Amino acid sequence: MEHATSVVTEQAARRTPPPLSEHLGSDTTRAAMRIQQEVLGAARDFLRGEGFVELLPPVIGPVTDPGARGSKQLDVDYYGHRYKVMTSGILYKQASLLAFDKIFYIAPNVRAEPVETCNTRRHLAEFHQIDVEIAHGTRADAMGVAERLLTHVVRHALAAVPEQFELLARDPLAFAWLLSGPFDVLTHREAVEALHGLGYAQSPDAEIEWTGEELLSSKKDRPFFVTDYPKGSRGFYDRESTTEPGRLRNFDLLAPEGYGELVSGSERESDYATIVTRMRETGENPAKYRWYLDVMRQGVPRSAGFGMGLERLTRFLTGLDAVWQVNAYPKVPGEVAP
Amino acid sequence: MRAGGFPEEQVRARALGGAAEAFPPVETYGHEVFGQDVSGPHPPRDELDAARLVPPVFMPLRLEKLIDLGREPLQSDVDLRTAVGGFSSALPVFLSAFGSTRIGSSEVSVAASRQAGALGIPMVIGENVVPVTGYRRDPSATTGMLARLRAYLDAADPSLGGVVVQQSTEDADAEVWNLVYSDPAAEPLLAGGRLGFELKVGQGAKPGLGGLTVLDRATAARVSEQFALDDLWSRGPGVLRSGSPGTFTDEILRQQIRFMRNNFPRARIWVKLHPGRDVARAAACAWEAGADAVTVDGAEGGTGWAPRAFLDHVGLPLAECLRRIGSPAGCLLATGRVWEGVRAVKALALGATAVGLGRAALTAVDADPEHGLRRLVECLAFEVQLLTSALGKYTPAALSGEDVWFPGAADAAPVFEKA
Repeated sequence: MEHATSVVTEQAARRTPPPLSEHLGSDTTRAAMRIQQEVLGAARDFLRGEGFVELLPPVIGPVTDPGARGSKQLDVDYYGHRYKVMTSGILYKQASLLAFDKIFYIAPNVRAEPVETCNTRRHLAEFHQIDVEIAHGTRADAMGVAERLLTHVVRHALAAVPEQFELLARDPLAFAWLLSGPFDVLTHREAVEALHGLGYAQSPDAEIEWTGEELLSSKKDRPFFVTDYPKGSRGFYDRESTTEPGRLRNFDLLAPEGYGELVSGSERESDYATIVTRMRETGENPAKYRWYLDVMRQGVPRSAGFGMGLERLTRFLTGLDAVWQVNAYPKVPGEVAP
Repeated sequence: MRAGGFPEEQVRARALGGAAEAFPPVETYGHEVFGQDVSGPHPPRDELDAARLVPPVFMPLRLEKLIDLGREPLQSDVDLRTAVGGFSSALPVFLSAFGSTRIGSSEVSVAASRQAGALGIPMVIGENVVPVTGYRRDPSATTGMLARLRAYLDAADPSLGGVVVQQSTEDADAEVWNLVYSDPAAEPLLAGGRLGFELKVGQGAKPGLGGLTVLDRATAARVSEQFALDDLWSRGPGVLRSGSPGTFTDEILRQQIRFMRNNFPRARIWVKLHPGRDVARAAACAWEAGADAVTVDGAEGGTGWAPRAFLDHVGLPLAECLRRIGSPAGCLLATGRVWEGVRAVKALALGATAVGLGRAALTAVDADPEHGLRRLVECLAFEVQLLTSALGKYTPAALSGEDVWFPGAADAAPVFEKA
């Protein structure tokens, strides 16, 4: 136990990864990878048990999720055409519903995040998501799957590798609340009010800022949902509410103790004309989304889904200080790494 | 390089002679009698040129300044420092975008960037620079966006100015804003609050159209996936490249601005409007959505190359744009054939916070790559000081509609309050 504590303290003091050989050889990395392996196995078991089919996601394509918050896509020269490395599989997830009603990926994603995010402790330029999409699903359906998935994964990992949690000095009691009942739900408006109440200047028209999210999360002892983000804070594929224009039918799931966002999801927009208009509202050029718009024009089922950040989830489970500690080959934004 | 329909000779003279060019040749002092037509075009090219600045006799603000200074104020007491679209600027002036026309992306624009930095005024980098010339294909490149950023930063006082990067619909393919925002090279600008992004809704020379430029055939082949190309000159060296103007409604504009603020919280947000008939509504929409500045580009031409049909017949003149906007609800910037102090002061009096130099800046740098823009702007600044103090005022913000008289108007123009 004493050994484990010293490992954690030594790692926590370091803000950026050590050389790769040192990182891969550390007890902390090993323990985190063993926990992550349990997460992956449990997620697959759970989702297959709920009738989802696992597909392997594409790595590159003519277009990818335009994303948000200032990250940059990486280009690849594909036989003379400019292709993108996937920032997320959202466009393909929607199209995949033509094959199966319930699908999931364990998807690698690459986003050249702004350099400022190297200090958030929860950004990696290269990371993975457990990506879920449900045809004919509602937001409530997607939130339900996310909640059950998280609960199942935590319960499984605690039971499967208790010695790894012990090695990392992560107290299983930290998850007592998570395992004991349903997660709270706040609207974005309520979250903004809560932040204002804490003296934090959060814009009511924007995504909740990293530090605001951390602050909100630090006041909670179990995961909680934030719903109904304002238009202008998320991508064109998040469906706008018909009863409350300007609000999106989306959600984030945030971990407690300051760990922040684990999941982003929404009901998806599937109406062709609305998608084109929303693309303009998010400053996108519809012309470059041709294959996607063609598919949408032909018609795909309405759906809901989410992406759960694998490294963020593992960080929350391990209680480690920074998300790079739970990736075998970490790439912190702005840092050149193997 | 030629700039037709533009007082090119006078701009070149200022680029070489600086503030001395605010006066007739000093050798003529005491020997010649001057009338009205020494400077300025006849007939005036537009309503703003036809208007006159009208100093009052009684000057309460001069009295305030006198009390403040404890002596009679002079033109040198006019304080030109101005907050321009979220930046601190040494002058109520900024460098407009040159775009990707051959002129606008040449070494001339790098020289202009260096001088804008040294002057402490904000600079806008035009649309399509990245899709056409690339960002950093060659890190030692002496032109292109990165070269301009570096030239500006190397010369600038870190407490003054700022760099504003435009993105149009085609630029969205190249993700110019994301590229700059996530680039370590832009970190000094971000850290100092000196980076901005400009949403280009339209432009003065071609209201309602997107960018039109002539590309050589090799460059055209490279960008053929992004742009529509027309081979109008079958035996000529180039082809016409048409950018799309992009579709806007009030909801699209509002949401794009919010999206920019959401995605780039550390950047200032500027919006550039063409002189459309609903310019007042569009400007109000932009400010309401949180834009730090709205630039109105009067239908007076620009560095962009325009079809003949548009040059004299399409779009509102700058004076009418300013009149329709009235008292701006935010920082209003005006561009369109500004090159000297009179037009600048008129625009400032009619509601603008600052004026942009486009063609004039290019011409000045063409005349003298090392100092041309600096001298042109020093002359303009000197004239702004002279005229502002003549109006009994000592900051550009104090100028107002009462200072301008339009021929044929019974009274002075309505008094516009600045935001």
